Amino acid sequence: MIDRRRLVLIIVSAVTAVSLASCATSLPSAQPSPATGPPASEAPGGEAPSGEITLYTSEPENKITEVIQAFNEDYPDVTVNLYRAATGELTARIASEQEAGGVRADVLLAADAPTFEKFKVQNLLAKFVPQEAKNLLPSVVDPQGYYVGTRIIPTIIAYNTNMTVARPTSWKDLTDPIYRGKIAMPNPDVSGAAAFNTALWLDTPSLGEPWLKALVANDPSVLQSNGPVSQAIAEGQPPLGIVVDYLVRDLAAKGSPIGTIYPSEGVPYISQPAAVFESSANKPAAEAFVSFLISEKGQKLAVAQNYLPVREDVGTPKGAVPLSELTLLEPDIASIAAKQDAAVKLFNSLLDG
Amino acid sequence: MRSQVPGNGPGIVTLRAVVLGCLAVTFALPMVAVVVLALNPGVVSALVGRDVLQAAINSAVTAGVSGLLATLIGAGLAVLLDRTDVRGRRHLRLLYFSPFLVPPFIGAIAWLSLLGPSGDITQAVSGLVGSSEPVFSLYGPVGITALLTIHSYPAAYIIISASLRRVPTSLEEAARLAGAGRLRTLRDVTLPLIRPALIATFTLTAVSNLSDFGIPAILGLPVRYYTLSTLIYKYLVSSVLDNPLQVVAAIGLVLLLVAVIAVLVQRRLSRSVQFEADGGAPPAIELGRSRTPVSVVSWAVAAVIALFPLIALLNQSLIPAPGVPLTWQTMTFSNFTDAIAYPGALNGIINSVVLSISAALICGILGLAIGSLITRTRSRTNVLMDLASTLPQSIPGLVIGVGWIIAGIWVGLYNTSWVILLAYVTAFVAFVVQSVRAPLAAASDSMEEAARISGASAVRAMIDISWRSALPAAAAGALLVALTAVRELTISVLLAAPGTRTLGVVIFDLQQSGDFSAAASLSLLVVIVGLLGLGVVASRGDGVDQSAQKAVRSYVNN
Repeated sequence: MIDRRRLVLIIVSAVTAVSLASCATSLPSAQPSPATGPPASEAPGGEAPSGEITLYTSEPENKITEVIQAFNEDYPDVTVNLYRAATGELTARIASEQEAGGVRADVLLAADAPTFEKFKVQNLLAKFVPQEAKNLLPSVVDPQGYYVGTRIIPTIIAYNTNMTVARPTSWKDLTDPIYRGKIAMPNPDVSGAAAFNTALWLDTPSLGEPWLKALVANDPSVLQSNGPVSQAIAEGQPPLGIVVDYLVRDLAAKGSPIGTIYPSEGVPYISQPAAVFESSANKPAAEAFVSFLISEKGQKLAVAQNYLPVREDVGTPKGAVPLSELTLLEPDIASIAAKQDAAVKLFNSLLDG
Repeated sequence: MRSQVPGNGPGIVTLRAVVLGCLAVTFALPMVAVVVLALNPGVVSALVGRDVLQAAINSAVTAGVSGLLATLIGAGLAVLLDRTDVRGRRHLRLLYFSPFLVPPFIGAIAWLSLLGPSGDITQAVSGLVGSSEPVFSLYGPVGITALLTIHSYPAAYIIISASLRRVPTSLEEAARLAGAGRLRTLRDVTLPLIRPALIATFTLTAVSNLSDFGIPAILGLPVRYYTLSTLIYKYLVSSVLDNPLQVVAAIGLVLLLVAVIAVLVQRRLSRSVQFEADGGAPPAIELGRSRTPVSVVSWAVAAVIALFPLIALLNQSLIPAPGVPLTWQTMTFSNFTDAIAYPGALNGIINSVVLSISAALICGILGLAIGSLITRTRSRTNVLMDLASTLPQSIPGLVIGVGWIIAGIWVGLYNTSWVILLAYVTAFVAFVVQSVRAPLAAASDSMEEAARISGASAVRAMIDISWRSALPAAAAGALLVALTAVRELTISVLLAAPGTRTLGVVIFDLQQSGDFSAAASLSLLVVIVGLLGLGVVASRGDGVDQSAQKAVRSYVNN
């Protein structure tokens, strides 16, 4: 009895010590950076950036982890707090944070230019043109200077190499009844790329609303985001899908039976822009991070991570068709930005109807 | 029975004030937050909207059917494991109990990799019948109901088994003497006697399944099948509504009312189950010639339920990429190393460990104080303290989560770890209160009186005498809090923010973003650590059965 009591006392006191210590250290530091980061005015121009920044991104966890590690090689004094979620969830979070006292992130790296256009209109973004912006493809740089694209991410048709039916060659083919129930695609409520694509397809004269209706009539599986779609295709259930290209290269490199089809009408692409929030309390570090993403080092890492880069001096990923040989569906950013919400609503109503 | 020290010194008054203050924060604040935001004229239209109604129907169907199935399975197991001479009952009981030790969302991840559209079993069966399409899929209402059943029948079994033990053997013996067969006795005498317990079990499991988030999220979201809990999540994480918090609070208020009604039903029924005498050990039903076949089938089913999810998680963790069959050549451990190497995962593990230990500590102290005040002193506020600390056990975690989102915004703690910690305390302090109640009530007054006579103050006497005797129980309750909190998902998923994601949320996000192998690797680690943790609790001398039962009694309805 005494032994057990003593044991309990030991446990309780150990637990007390551990949890008090960790309360003291860990909990406050878990708070987002605006509370703890130094005010922007204190960071003089010449010194290397330091302190904490919070990054909101839709990049896959493993890829963005490598990016942050590479960034920290150049900027060891900057701590990057990472929050990864699908684009739809990020925009919802940013909206709710605006209500509850202000955006808590310093950098946004996600999805597509039209999403950034919306934030720009709401005055959430800080004006920042990285020095190296002049080395980028002109189409990915915001002419007003609020954001820059960091990767070219085309959406393509992926197929399982064990698939027995004939492979489609175009977006139009996907409406053929032989592919009924065999197509997976991401949910535009959640995926920024999917929301963008939906608007762009509707805006493309050869496709438009009749094509979208026919696609939905072919009973696609609408999975949450691009990640599960690529997994499902690799596993063969369903064997075909609409998905961003780099995930297919990732899985193929690891040995999954999956391949890429570039539809003949052309591929929509997003540029995964990066921007600094106007409310950022540590703009020097935030700007350093954005600059790093488009630097030669950052872009070489992007290529190593199977992304098509936004500059021409860093090569292309293994097995990828170079950007210059791709037929692209070129968006009118302003028009897509205006139409995106309505396009997603239309898609959802077709699905529910 | 309850012994009370009438002397309420000034110390006790202070202690009471402090405890009431704590409960005002942990219980009253989030509940008031839900009610205030829900009682907004604008939300009625949203509440009767098509999405909410459909989700309410889906919730009622999956929770109702799974509650019913869990009760039936629990009753069947209670008879099989407690009343028959099936071989290896002790170990069989452990195997059947194992789903209880696996967090529901991890169970869903595991079974999905076996029975999902591209699951190993699905593929094998599809191949057998020569179909290129999957012949079944765990996604959707059937899979959700099945998984909810698997994860709630162990609790049902424990409750029914306890009430079965209280059935007076004399009644059964009388029936046997009068010539009734064993099965007839079971049907005509035993079952009617435990019927109230069966209904209570159904209510408990159904309400608890109503608030589960992990299973319907993992098996429902990919096919856009929403229950109330996943609809709340969808409203909060995507911008489909202009006033998501108000609508979510309104749904929360409805769930809160359902939970309160269930508690009332439950209290009424449990009062009517009291029997005069303790049952004593009833004679085992001899299975006779069918003993071996029944034993084989029972063991086979138990093995499938206990081992398949573990094998599935292991399989999913070891494949290098989706669509690649697992062989000795393709096997890789890189998913484990990758998953743990994500700073997100490491952060999640640290957050969960810190939060669960802190919650256990706070709940341990607060629970002990509440328990001793309500058992050892007399006051009109005792009922209030009792309710405020134990009612959250019956309130869906989602409602507590929603309450703390709103309260967190009010007090400026939203998006911090503190708000998750507070929500854990709200949800789990009952474990400790329930656990210390019995030893405190049983302690005799004379020791405390002696201490008072020797000059100790009332508080000092209480701390020195009563608290010390209840300390083992408080520590057991606190350990239970830690084990529950460390794998928590429902509350954390609503409150997690950048930098404050918990382990459960990290695993859930990995699964949602399609990194199934990383999710499976972390899940497997959680399951193994959980089993070890429970092993430690069990080996503390109580025996697995008893600590398991203790665990369930505090767990049930949470």
